[in-house]
Amino acid sequence: MVTAEVPVLAMAAEYFFKLGVEGKRFRPMVLLLMSTSLMTSPSHGLQDLIFDDLRLRQQRIAEITEMIHVASLLHDDVLDHADTRRGISSLNHVMGNKLAVLAGDFLLARASVALASLRNTEVVELLSQVLEHLVTGEIMQLSVEDKDMSNMDYYMQKTFYKTASLMANSCKAIAVLAGQPEDVALLAFNYGRHLGLAYQLVDDALDYTGTTKTLGKPALSDLGQGIVTAPVLFALKEFPEMSKLIQRKFKTVTDINQAVEMVKESRGIAQTHALAAEHARKAVDAIANLPPNPSLHVQQCRRALIDIAHQVITRSK
Amino acid sequence: MMQAARGGRYLVRHLKVRQVSPLLKYAPWNTSLCQDAFVESPSVSAWQPTSSSRQFGAVLGLEHLNSNSQRGFMSAQEKVDPFSLVADELQVVANRLRSMVTAESTQVPVLAMAAEYFFKLGVEGKRFRPMVLLLMSTSLMTSPSHGLQDLIFDDLRLRQQRIAEITEMIHVASLLHDDVLDHADTRRGISSLNHVMGNKLAVLAGDFLLARASVALASLRNTEVVELLSQVLEHLVTGEIMQLSVEDKDMSNMDYYMQKTFYKTASLMANSCKAIAVLAGQPEDVALLAFNYGRHLGLAYQLVDDALDYTGTTKTLGKPALSDLGQGIVTAPVLFALKEFPEMSKLIQRKFKTVTDINQAVEMVKESRGIAQTHALAAEHARKAVDAIANLPPNPSLHVQQCRRALIDIAHQVITRSK
Repeated sequence: MVTAEVPVLAMAAEYFFKLGVEGKRFRPMVLLLMSTSLMTSPSHGLQDLIFDDLRLRQQRIAEITEMIHVASLLHDDVLDHADTRRGISSLNHVMGNKLAVLAGDFLLARASVALASLRNTEVVELLSQVLEHLVTGEIMQLSVEDKDMSNMDYYMQKTFYKTASLMANSCKAIAVLAGQPEDVALLAFNYGRHLGLAYQLVDDALDYTGTTKTLGKPALSDLGQGIVTAPVLFALKEFPEMSKLIQRKFKTVTDINQAVEMVKESRGIAQTHALAAEHARKAVDAIANLPPNPSLHVQQCRRALIDIAHQVITRSK
Repeated sequence: MMQAARGGRYLVRHLKVRQVSPLLKYAPWNTSLCQDAFVESPSVSAWQPTSSSRQFGAVLGLEHLNSNSQRGFMSAQEKVDPFSLVADELQVVANRLRSMVTAESTQVPVLAMAAEYFFKLGVEGKRFRPMVLLLMSTSLMTSPSHGLQDLIFDDLRLRQQRIAEITEMIHVASLLHDDVLDHADTRRGISSLNHVMGNKLAVLAGDFLLARASVALASLRNTEVVELLSQVLEHLVTGEIMQLSVEDKDMSNMDYYMQKTFYKTASLMANSCKAIAVLAGQPEDVALLAFNYGRHLGLAYQLVDDALDYTGTTKTLGKPALSDLGQGIVTAPVLFALKEFPEMSKLIQRKFKTVTDINQAVEMVKESRGIAQTHALAAEHARKAVDAIANLPPNPSLHVQQCRRALIDIAHQVITRSK
């Protein structure tokens, strides 16, 4: 769907595929597993890659979800003239802001057309809402007021909008297409929501503890961008002096070092992991509450979704 | 059907375009088409829903004014400003758009600036697109509506207003994104939002509007309408890409240019007009007429824009802006001039890089028939827009006829304006 007749888009497409390979197409994997998990009637030949109409539509949800995700990354990467702390985004560096915007718009437009082709108004509503949430989350991050900077609820809300809403609503869309009732669709939604939140929280923690291949030490990219995440918010409860660093958005190298120290001395990392584990548990609960299904394949896929929830919180990047 | 259509089509009022009339005789096309068009028009009410001979007779013009006065309808001389027909309703739409953007901005102050920009744009264009779409809504009414003047809207009307809002949101979002500057891009001048707020916020503001448009679109719960407007999004991007990445072989190609212009400018108008028809439950052939009105209107608008860039005077400069040339963009006057001046070709390839290039290009355009031909092509599209309205199924309601007349008048205004 992305390969274009227009040569300039070939480079954007390249970026698109790289991202996908890196993430092992995490979202599509979850959505396809969810598709099987929510089957209401036995499907034949799924192994032979012969797909019935429902399955093709659910695959389309996976494609749309991936397009929306990459489009949001491309747009997030647009740099301001003054913005040098962020480092170089590969597409943006190579092609310039304008093309990054255009490539993002291209993917969004394609996603919209694909969405429309499903001819299901509820699904269109769900994924349109995701677009709105992505923008809202980004705005919340960019324009956070002083009083909200240290607020954990604000942070979790923003994280839902920016990260988890896409997963939650696309899981729900899978259920809707499958003709599942509202309560089952809600379970699918909750799996995606809690999985997304768990994923982001672990990401936050790893930014302080994980080691990068090139640096051999934590990336600290959130601090570097002045972004407050869960470990900092937890550390704040034990170290009130974190507050002024937050207000300054960790402006200096000293600020960054001090913040790292406080985080490591506090229980911030552990508490972040604990919160992630709580969300992972809720994700598992959602799967556990799905209506029983005798099919072995369905049970395998549900088990896989549970395993993914575990992997999300045990990974070390 | 075609014969009756030809017979019944409206003939446009004589155009008072300074540059077109004396030069038309040099136009390479069939100028008789142009000249036939310029006769006094019968009143809208000459359109009787009864015999086809009456409709055929409407072509002849004046003799039907008498029968009109028998019915007590408006005469052709009494011209109603299109904007005034829907002014109140437009205010309602404008207020909804405003509240949609400002509601968020109270929670998120940074959006207030984007909202402000949004409104400025709207005021400047007098909300052109929504005006056309509301007039189209009335023009396509299949059953009489009550209280349209009292601003009491039925469900269908509210949905059609929503199309107008969505269309405006998509339009402004595309402007915001088009304004994003590259680091190397200094020729373009300053975009107000971009200059004040930076690229990132321009992108975000555009995404915000697109997201809102998508949600509003979804809320209409009409899959065909969702398809039509999703396609517009794709066309906008395609048009921009065509402009940015034009290959050498396409740079001098008029078909390429018109295709790009459709994508960038006319598709939004065409598909939103069609969406109005679809919501109204009109059959496919009527929806196609609405589509064609929007398409030809959009193309006419852009072509006149192209010409005015060479001939219009700006308030500040007191001379033509020449902004297209300044950005290295090839438009219709240049493509026409190219046929008479082959040396234009290398300037095109260089994208009018130097000031000398720009001056040479302007000279060639002015010495050629490029401007006149551009206006003539615009007039041709305006005529086709008028034809589309003329072919709508007859409707006895005065208000419907007034609005159809207004759509025709708009087509005239588009090609007679001097910016």
